[in-house]
Amino acid sequence: MLKDITIGQFFPGKSFIHKMDPRMKIILMFGLIVFVFMAGNAISMGVVLLSTVLILLITRVPFKLYFKGLKAIWMIIILTSLLNMFYIKGTVIFEWKFISITWEGVRQSIFITLRIVCMILISSVLTYTSSPTALTDAIERLLAPFKLVGLKVHELAMMMTIALRFIPTLIEEVEKIMNAQKARGADMDSGRLTERIKAMIPVFIPLFVSSIRRAVELAAAMECRCYTGGKGRTRMKVLRYKFRDFFAFTVIAALCAGILYINFRFPEWKMTV
Amino acid sequence: MNEALIQTQNLEFAYDFEESNIPVLKGIDLQIKAGEFIALLGHNGSGKSTLAKHFNALLLPSGGKAFVLGMDTSNEALTYEIRRRVGMVFQNPDNQLVATIVEEDVAFGPENLGIPSNEIRQRVDEALKTVGMYDYREHAPHKLSGGQKQRVAIAGVIAMQPQCIVFDEPTAMLDPSGREEVIETILRLKNDLGIATVLITHYMDEAALADRVIVMDKGEILLDGTPAEVFAKGQQLRMHNLDVPESVEIAEFARHMGIPVPMDALSPSTCAQAIFKAWSSREESEKARAYLRYKEELSANLINSEAEPASSGSVIKIKELSYTYGGGTPFEKLAINNINLSINKGEFIGIIGHTGSGKTTLVQHLNGLIRPQQGSVLLNGTDIWAKPKKIRQVRYQVGLVFQYPEYQLFEETVYKDIAYGLKRMGVDKHDISMRVREAANFAGLDLNLLEKSPFDLSGGEKRRAAIAGVIAMRPAVLVLDEPSAGLDPKGRRELMNQIQSYRRRSGTTVLMVSHSMEEIARFADRVLVMNKGEIAMQGTVSQVFGHSHELVQMGLKVPELTQIFDSLSGRGVPVSSSVYTLNQAITEMERLFAGGAGNA
Repeated sequence: MLKDITIGQFFPGKSFIHKMDPRMKIILMFGLIVFVFMAGNAISMGVVLLSTVLILLITRVPFKLYFKGLKAIWMIIILTSLLNMFYIKGTVIFEWKFISITWEGVRQSIFITLRIVCMILISSVLTYTSSPTALTDAIERLLAPFKLVGLKVHELAMMMTIALRFIPTLIEEVEKIMNAQKARGADMDSGRLTERIKAMIPVFIPLFVSSIRRAVELAAAMECRCYTGGKGRTRMKVLRYKFRDFFAFTVIAALCAGILYINFRFPEWKMTV
Repeated sequence: MNEALIQTQNLEFAYDFEESNIPVLKGIDLQIKAGEFIALLGHNGSGKSTLAKHFNALLLPSGGKAFVLGMDTSNEALTYEIRRRVGMVFQNPDNQLVATIVEEDVAFGPENLGIPSNEIRQRVDEALKTVGMYDYREHAPHKLSGGQKQRVAIAGVIAMQPQCIVFDEPTAMLDPSGREEVIETILRLKNDLGIATVLITHYMDEAALADRVIVMDKGEILLDGTPAEVFAKGQQLRMHNLDVPESVEIAEFARHMGIPVPMDALSPSTCAQAIFKAWSSREESEKARAYLRYKEELSANLINSEAEPASSGSVIKIKELSYTYGGGTPFEKLAINNINLSINKGEFIGIIGHTGSGKTTLVQHLNGLIRPQQGSVLLNGTDIWAKPKKIRQVRYQVGLVFQYPEYQLFEETVYKDIAYGLKRMGVDKHDISMRVREAANFAGLDLNLLEKSPFDLSGGEKRRAAIAGVIAMRPAVLVLDEPSAGLDPKGRRELMNQIQSYRRRSGTTVLMVSHSMEEIARFADRVLVMNKGEIAMQGTVSQVFGHSHELVQMGLKVPELTQIFDSLSGRGVPVSSSVYTLNQAITEMERLFAGGAGNA
């Protein structure tokens, strides 16, 4: 059922990483991804892979879920690696008509694949171990300095929260309306693209109307609960960096330094163009 | 004035609509005391919701005054002081939860008030424990049942530590067990926390639990008093399109017969107790005679019931139908299991079962919205999936009206919306016009509304328009999923009568899924009880309602009359245990107390 889709893919748990401050997780995730792309060396890539697997293990989220995340992007992976394979010049190892595959191309595409995979895995660690609420909260706080230049940070975060809250509800509603129109003879599964788009009108109009109704009702409910915007608001969960966050920071920083050092120390293992 | 929690003085309110002024409240004078539990009744459009919205400055009076703890609601500086003291819970459980996690949502109110973090934590935990949702504190709201969502919404208000909570039809969209959860929670607020509650409802059995009942009509207060006082004016209530609880009706009749049922016997149990007392105090000879009459009746009935009408052949046959959602995933759920069923031509079948019992999955198989994983569905003897490309033909013959069908309206005019299915069928223009009118007629929709936008209609009219859209296809079988959900008593009654007369005039076979046992009892020829994906029971209404204990165990609620007579029969009183209409109840009472109840 569509209902079982989880938005933000949060997988509740009590691991070290689950308990980390989401702000630190976001910072470290960006840091790590940058360094994944700096690992152009077989040894440093090995280190990156190893640490990624280690991080996945620490989260105690089933590997199955991570692979599910990868499935969604396999097309991109294949496409980019194919492009790299064919277009990079170097020692030819296979040739047929106009297609030529080079040793450098193969290496490059392996690296690109590994990088994309690592990037996706690391960002899934963030989304699997932090609730959407924690994430929006963290983003709100990380962006707080931009309030000075007039960015409506709280309002933005509130919008994100409400979107996250209502996406599953609306998906369910789409399913219901589609069934109701099908019961009246609507045909949504066949015909040309233009016909199919036209067939969706009876779904989108009711969805639009009900979304507005929901918005009006939600606004009233929020007003009843004294919502007046970000001013004067406190939070139940206060984000505070703890020892574990500094510890994680140190480990990741050391890892990044290590990658740089390996790149510099073993240039002969450099594998990418 | 100090003792009143909420006070209105000659409160008036009018909506400005297209330059005309529509008065909704016409001078309301009302006082609500601390800790009071008030039920606010009235049909749709009587102004009860509008009045309630004045209690927390969601609306401001256009005339007169409203005060909360002495604070004038029209003083904008006090708006949030007022709202933190008078909270509100709305009808639709989905549209009032803000956060993606239960506890975060409960924290939303206190966070807005600027309360320190530690204290919020405390309040949230306490509030969740009060409503019994503490174990769900880290769940996502969209995965909860309707009743659970409403309890979270209530916790969200409790956490603000209000002195009064206004409930705007909090149970209208819930199933019986969800209703019970919410009502129990509301009672706990009053008893444990001393919070005053204003409950707007269409359910009279809920109103009977209140300390005070206020009935509104046309923007004015019609009645105001204890439930016993208000329900004693049954005739007046009925005149204003409101119901009286069944217990009160039978109590009224009993008093008429001379049986001393106290005026405050408003619930099935107190009512049954009073009747039992009257019965026990009768002379032994009178009792013996009553037993005899009961036995005679019983044997006469047995002979009658053998002569069942011959069935006129089946339209739909379901064979060994099973369906599992999310097979192979951790969310795997067996929705229906090995269903065998034959639906006869012209029959009116009522399907009952709690939420998640498989009712909706079953009915979606009938018109091919779901393809069977196992088993088959036969329409007039042929498998509906014999030609999968022709499945739309099946959908024209088995019309399915979903729950809250008004949410599927989309065309510019009601006419076009009703014609939507007909156009898909390829009916020619002249016939479309005829059939749209015919369907509107059947659904009880005023023909003048056909050229209006469906979005300008009232709630009840929208629903009729949506039902007409299915009836227009002239289905051989009409399946209705909770057709009367969320309507007021008058709307319910009218819609059900309309469906019944449509069935009589067109000879259509009708299947109706409903939570309202009263409706099923009144209209169905045959009742199916679904439980855990299986047909747990089936038979005539009296056969099924004779098993009220089993029904209750399956999370269903039997009509109040059935409860009363089941309880009496359980205590050895010679009455039938499967009474479900007022007429039956009266017959039973007359037989039981034949010869006058005067000596009691």
